[in-house]
Amino acid sequence: MKEYVLLLFLGLCSAKHFIGPSHFTLKHMMLQDMEDENDDDNSLFPTRRPILQQVPFDIFPVCPFGCQCYMRVVHCSDLGLTSIPNNIPSDTRMIDLQNNKIKEVKENDLKGLTSLYALALNNNKIFKIHPKAFQSTKKLRRLYLSHNQLTEIPANLPKSLAELRIHDNKVKKVQKEAFQGMKALHVLEMSANPLDNDGIEPGSFEGVTVYHIRIAEAKLTSVPKGLPSSLLELHLDDNKITAVELEDFIRYKDLQRLGLGNNKIKDVENGSFSSIPNVREIHLENNKLKKVPSGLPDLKYLQVVFLHSNNIAKVGVNDFCPTGGSTKKTLYSGISLFNNPVKYWEVQPATFRCILGRNSVQLGNY
Amino acid sequence: MKVAVFFLLLLPVCWAKPFHQKGLFEFMLEDEGSADLPPTDSPDIYLPGAVCPFRCQCHLRVVQCSDLGLEKVPRDLPSDTTLLDLQNNKITEIKEGDFKNLKDLHALILVNNKISKISPAAFAPLKKLERLYLSKNNLKELPENMPKSLQELRAHENEITKLRKVVFNGLNSMIVVELGTNPLKSSGLENGAFQGMKKLSYIRISDTNITSIPRGLPPSLTELHLDGNKITKIDSESLAGLVNLAKLGLSFNSISAVDNGSLATIPHLKELHLDNNELVKVPGGLAEHKYIQVVYLHNNKIASVGPSDFCPPGYNTKKASYSGVSLFSNPVQYWEIQPSTFRCVYERSVIQLGNYK
Repeated sequence: MKEYVLLLFLGLCSAKHFIGPSHFTLKHMMLQDMEDENDDDNSLFPTRRPILQQVPFDIFPVCPFGCQCYMRVVHCSDLGLTSIPNNIPSDTRMIDLQNNKIKEVKENDLKGLTSLYALALNNNKIFKIHPKAFQSTKKLRRLYLSHNQLTEIPANLPKSLAELRIHDNKVKKVQKEAFQGMKALHVLEMSANPLDNDGIEPGSFEGVTVYHIRIAEAKLTSVPKGLPSSLLELHLDDNKITAVELEDFIRYKDLQRLGLGNNKIKDVENGSFSSIPNVREIHLENNKLKKVPSGLPDLKYLQVVFLHSNNIAKVGVNDFCPTGGSTKKTLYSGISLFNNPVKYWEVQPATFRCILGRNSVQLGNY
Repeated sequence: MKVAVFFLLLLPVCWAKPFHQKGLFEFMLEDEGSADLPPTDSPDIYLPGAVCPFRCQCHLRVVQCSDLGLEKVPRDLPSDTTLLDLQNNKITEIKEGDFKNLKDLHALILVNNKISKISPAAFAPLKKLERLYLSKNNLKELPENMPKSLQELRAHENEITKLRKVVFNGLNSMIVVELGTNPLKSSGLENGAFQGMKKLSYIRISDTNITSIPRGLPPSLTELHLDGNKITKIDSESLAGLVNLAKLGLSFNSISAVDNGSLATIPHLKELHLDNNELVKVPGGLAEHKYIQVVYLHNNKIASVGPSDFCPPGYNTKKASYSGVSLFSNPVQYWEIQPSTFRCVYERSVIQLGNYK
């Protein structure tokens, strides 16, 4: 155990080097918030062995037939189960029920599982979750509900949730009280749902500090304005967004990564990016932009801008880099402009005077 | 004697205990794709350092990149990654250099992709890999050269038709192998294919086309799940030597006969599922079996149940009482079964006889 703690520390120290400063912030915050203070063993695969129970004739602890139970992990994936097994050991920390045929999470299915930390229910046929189903699971941090038939965010999810994945369901609506009191919810993945802008009720993210939201492959026509102001990463790729407007990012002033690729954006209103001065990465590829969005030279930390596959016909010498007194704190490491009407020989070399190296820009189809 | 029995009982527990990996399990990551693609698809730009691929999440050395529509493994993953989750993407191929540098990786999740090809050298850098999840892909065969450190392999729902000995040989850390829902036939299963895994505790080969219990299973096995196949009989030979077997699942097969003495070769069996088969009588040897507690026999063709089919005659010599016996949906009528048949049962309610609960 000691060695493991040491290993963990080592990992954390070295991780700083690899992740780099831009992600350290996010990682640091997540580390603090995703770990239970009084619990050093919160990984999905626990590291501590259970104490062997000395029951003479019951050589195996209770474990649903066909599942594997070890170290408080119950593995029941791919078994064709039509309901959640009822003899799950009460000290279980993680249950893997993915890829079964479960239709419903009933009131007592998770009863007494007070130590449950992670629950994987992805790839089932769940259309209904009882409003009291999560009453016992007060420590649940990770809930995976992707690839099911849910039409809304389940009511009364545990307030302890740190990560919720509900990709590829039929969610049309995020109710006002959906995330109420979930102070530690940090990752929310709800892509591939038929969600439009009106489906997100105002105030539904009040008091929630989510750092990473992805609502891709949905029916959004503009950047949602009511998302948490704590956002560090916002991914809205593959939607039907037609324009970026001045007030779109006013709430999200800490944003570091912005994904808007594969939309129908024709225009980014002047000054839209001035409210996100810390942004590192902007992806606007596969849109209908006619020019490089304004305001990029003022983003001191911007390193990556993807603008390929748009309708950009002209690139000005001051579109990317600042002029005069102001300077960038970090140089560009990735600018993509290929697959645009603009010809590379029409772009002045001085346009890219603030890039890391000559490989940082990809211009034409050469 | 008592002590000896106790240790014997602990033996399978020790073998079963296996999962002492230091692994973590959190998820997800992806890259807006760098290299190798034509420029129309994605920019060929070198991003310095291994940052978290765009749209993925990286924290606690876990890289989570599920559900992103990725067509290949992202480049430049942080080299200290312990868990890489790439499930629900569109990856078609695992290439040689895809996991280079990931020397600390403990778990690799590739479930639900379109993988039909894995380069023989792809897993070579993964010296610490303990869990490999390949379920829901298009693999026709398992890759050779899987890491020796592997403890758990899941390849459910692929197109696997063949299991060769060389694939598993020397995987002496392996504990769990799950190969259900594959178009596997008994003829595609090399004799003793699993024998090379000295610690193997759990095998599941459900919903395939195999017609017999695989031969040469390793004696370390504690659980064998073969439900939903086309097995026609239980022969004592294939179970011989499985002294640690505690759970045997053979539901939904076409079993009409259980060789006499089959159960005697698996003395520590605790749970036997033979429901939904073609049995015409209760398998022999249950009464002499000391540890069996659960016997599912519902949905068979059992026409009569004798008073000595389940319990030993006279004084109860069983070490464990039955905690579950099912006989419903059989031709036998419950009023034809003598009450004394279940004299060694823990309590009457554990027996399900008729079509009532």
